[in-house]
Amino acid sequence: MKGIATSEGYGIGKVLVVKEPNLEFTPKTGCNAEQELKRYRSAVEKFCIKTEKAAERVKLAASEKEAEIILGHILMIKDPYMSGEIEKLIENGQCAESALSSVCDMFAAVFSSTDDELTRQRASDVNDIKNDILSILLGAEEQDIFDAPENTVLVAKDLTPSMTARINKANIAGIITETGGKTSHSAILARAMEIPAVHSVPEVAEKLKNGETVIVDGNDGIVIESPTQKQIDEYTKLRTDFIEYRKALSKYIGRETKTVDGIKAELAVNIGKPDEANKAIECDGEGIGLFRTEFLFMDRSTPPNEDEQFDAYKRVALIMKNKPVIIRTLDVGGDKGISYLKMPKEENPFLGFRAIRYCLKNEDMYKTQLRALLRASAYGDIRIMLPFVTCVDEVRTVRKLIKEIMSDLSQEGIAYKEDIKVGVMIETAAACMIADILAKESDFFSIGTNDLTQYIMSVDRGNADAAYLYSAYNPAVLRAIKHIIKCAKQAGIPVGMCGEAASDKKLIPLLISFGLDEYSVSAASVLSTRKTISEWSKREADALTEQVMKVETAEEVEQLLSKSQK
Amino acid sequence: MVSKTITLTNAQGFHMRPAGVFANAMAKYKSDITIKFNGNDVNGKSLMNIIAACIKCGSTIELVCDGADENEALQAAIELIESGLGE
Repeated sequence: MKGIATSEGYGIGKVLVVKEPNLEFTPKTGCNAEQELKRYRSAVEKFCIKTEKAAERVKLAASEKEAEIILGHILMIKDPYMSGEIEKLIENGQCAESALSSVCDMFAAVFSSTDDELTRQRASDVNDIKNDILSILLGAEEQDIFDAPENTVLVAKDLTPSMTARINKANIAGIITETGGKTSHSAILARAMEIPAVHSVPEVAEKLKNGETVIVDGNDGIVIESPTQKQIDEYTKLRTDFIEYRKALSKYIGRETKTVDGIKAELAVNIGKPDEANKAIECDGEGIGLFRTEFLFMDRSTPPNEDEQFDAYKRVALIMKNKPVIIRTLDVGGDKGISYLKMPKEENPFLGFRAIRYCLKNEDMYKTQLRALLRASAYGDIRIMLPFVTCVDEVRTVRKLIKEIMSDLSQEGIAYKEDIKVGVMIETAAACMIADILAKESDFFSIGTNDLTQYIMSVDRGNADAAYLYSAYNPAVLRAIKHIIKCAKQAGIPVGMCGEAASDKKLIPLLISFGLDEYSVSAASVLSTRKTISEWSKREADALTEQVMKVETAEEVEQLLSKSQK
Repeated sequence: MVSKTITLTNAQGFHMRPAGVFANAMAKYKSDITIKFNGNDVNGKSLMNIIAACIKCGSTIELVCDGADENEALQAAIELIESGLGE
C-alpha cells in the first residue's frame, strides 16, 4: 500500500487500529438555554484542561514548538468572537452540540477558502477542536493509546492532537493514517518524536486488522501488509542502519561547516517557494543558495505583478534574517513551459529560447522582476543570479537594466541595496569556457551541475537510451567544474554549487580540493552534507582528487570515489 | 477614535502565534480595536477573525481604536507590531 511519507524511518510492529469516537448527534432547538450554556462551558473547561495536559506531554516528548500548536487550540476556542457566536446560538435555544458545530464549520469553511496555505491548514485545527469538544459533550471518550504494548503500529483514519499527545514513543513503532499529509499535527509530532509515519493511505484503517504484523516505510511512503520473513529481515537492517545514521547526523546540528583542517564552507539550501525558507532554517541551513522563482509564474493566467513578487522575495529575506539569499531570475523554457507566456514550440527547447534569452527579449516583464528583487533587497542580503548565461553581453545588459531601475527607485525614494550582488549560474558549456571573462563581471558564480552535465555531455537526460551518459562523474564534467572554480578563484569571487552534485557524498572531496566556497543542497541533505565535509581534510581530498583526475572513464571515477568514501 | 496606518514586517504575518499575541494583548483594553485591511473591518480582539483575514507580511493595515483607553490601546498595538509580534 502506498501513501505520503511524512516522517522518516522504518518501523515494524503489530497493528493497533485506533477507533474514532462516534460523534453523531441529533440537533435540537428550543433547549433550556441556561442548562445548555452550563453544559457547553463545562465541556470547554474540560477541553482546556485536557489540551493543557496534552501540550505538557508533547513538550516532554517532542518540543516546545509542537506544544504551542496544541495550546493554540485553547486560544482559538477562548476567542471572544468565536465563543460569543456559539453562546449566542445556545441562548437562542440551540443545543450545545449544534451551536458548536455550526460556528466551527463556518470558520473551517472561511479558512479553507483563502488562498493562503497556512491559513487553510488552520481549518483542520478548527475541526480538531470541534471533534474534541463534541466527544466531551457526547461522553464519547477517545480510545487511550498510552498503554499500547511495545512495537505497536498505530493505524487510524485520522489521529487528533489529543490522541497524538498520548503517544508513548518508546512503544510506538510507526503511524499510518488514511488522511492528512506532511503538515498534519500527527505528522509534525511523528517527526519531532522520530516515529516513522505514512499518511493518506486509502482505507488502511479497514484493511489492516488488530495484531497483524506490518512494515511502515516512512522514507518511501510504503506500508507492507503481512510481510515475508525476508522483508522483515531486510527492513530490520534498514531500521538499524537508519537509527545509526540519524544519531550520527544529529551531532552536526548547530556546527560550523568546515573540513577536518578547518577550511570553512557555506552550506545553503535550494528552495522553490517562500515558505520553504522556514524549512531551511529548521534544518540548520546557513542561507539560501538557490531560490527558483518559476513557481511564482506557474498555475495562473498572467505574470505576477511587481508587488506580488516583492512580497515573495521580501518574505524569504525576512525569514532568513540577513543570511545570504540567492534568487535566480525566471528560468523559463527548456522543460519548464508556462502557457500564458506563449513560448513558441521548438525542435530543441533546451537549446532554444529560454531563461535569460527569453527575459531579455521580454524586457518589461523582466524589469518587473528585477525591480521587485531590488525593492526586496532592502530587507536582507538578497543576491541576483542569472540562469543560462552563454556570453558576457547578457550580463552587461542585465547590469544596465539594474542600473536604470536603481536610478528610478532612487528618484521615487524607494529603498534598495545599492551594492546588491549580481552573479551568474554556470550551467552551459559556453559559460564554462568563458568563465574567466564572466568572472570579471560577476560578483559570484554558482555551478548548476544538473544542466551543466547535460550541456557538457550533450545528452538529453530525458532520453532513456542516452541517459547512461548523464553523470557528473564523467571526466569532462569534472574538468569543467575544476576549471570554473579555478577561474572564480583567480578573479577573487566566491563560487558555489546548486545542483545535486553538491550533496553527493562521493563528489564532495573533489569539491573541497577544487576550493568550492558554497554548497547549496535540498533541506533534507544539509546535515549529511555538513557531515561529509567535516570528515575530510584538504590534504586527503587533494590526494584523492589527484588520482581521480588521472583516470579516464566515468566508471573508473565512480569506482575510485566509492572506494574512498568515509 | 484614533487610528494609524502601519505595515506588518514580521515574517509570518498575522498567523496563529502572532495573531494570538496581538489579540491577547488587545483584550486588556476596553476600547474596540478594529483592523482595516483589504476593505474589511476585522475585530482586533479576535484571533479567529484575524487569522481569517489572511494578513501577510508586508501588508499595510489601518488600526482603529475607539473607547475610553483608545490612546493607550493604539500605542500598545503599534509597539507590538513594530517589535515583530513576539517572533
